[in-house]
Amino acid sequence: MKIEGEGQLLRIFISEDKQWEGKPLYEAILYLAKEQSIAGVTVLRGFMGFGAHSRIRTTKILRLSDDLPVVIEIVDKEEKINTLLPLLDTMVTEGMMTLERANIIVYRTPNHEDE
Amino acid sequence: MRWNLLKLGIIGLGGFIGAIARYTLSGVAQQMFNTSFPIGTLFVNILGCILLGSIMTLVQDYSYFTPSIRLFITVGILGALTTFSTFGYETVELFLAQETYLAILNIIGNVVLGILSVWLGSSLIRLIAK
Repeated sequence: MKIEGEGQLLRIFISEDKQWEGKPLYEAILYLAKEQSIAGVTVLRGFMGFGAHSRIRTTKILRLSDDLPVVIEIVDKEEKINTLLPLLDTMVTEGMMTLERANIIVYRTPNHEDE
Repeated sequence: MRWNLLKLGIIGLGGFIGAIARYTLSGVAQQMFNTSFPIGTLFVNILGCILLGSIMTLVQDYSYFTPSIRLFITVGILGALTTFSTFGYETVELFLAQETYLAILNIIGNVVLGILSVWLGSSLIRLIAK
């Protein structure tokens, strides 16, 4: 797969303990994106943050470390991202999603040149 | 709401195991060394600190354990085994964040005020009972 030029970066902010059909929500989103043949997904866990409820989560204080922030970054062309959005809307019942333009400069695998 | 209740259940189950482990292990250590020094308490405190330090490093650096398993082990089992492990962990975190002033305040607050509070509680009861 070769993607260049204008794309979109979809960022989803959720907490680590959110579940979807018995598995972690971030994992469910990653597999959903894979099923939809999305170009790439990265899941990152933060060590400090807060969301709409304004409760700080941090690894520094054990009592506040049980649901750390998770950020899922999804990059692809606008039309592919648009197919994901309605599905994500039902899955992300708490959290935030942001969408921004991304200029894809490089997207390659080690054997890209052999293809 | 359901997840919050589940969390309490997970902590309670861990606490049940941790409290029994504390009672058993501190008793065994105390009897093993046959001394008037409270070595049983020291033993569970040190054991709890080693375990909490190891588990939280596995969580932070290697993404081990889901939030519910973490809650079960760290807050439930280790919390009941010894709250000293939480104190130790949070103090180390403050030192690592270079918040030395807060780390020292945490040590003084917990150790010195903790000991003074035992004495205060004891004195208050004696005063009331007079």
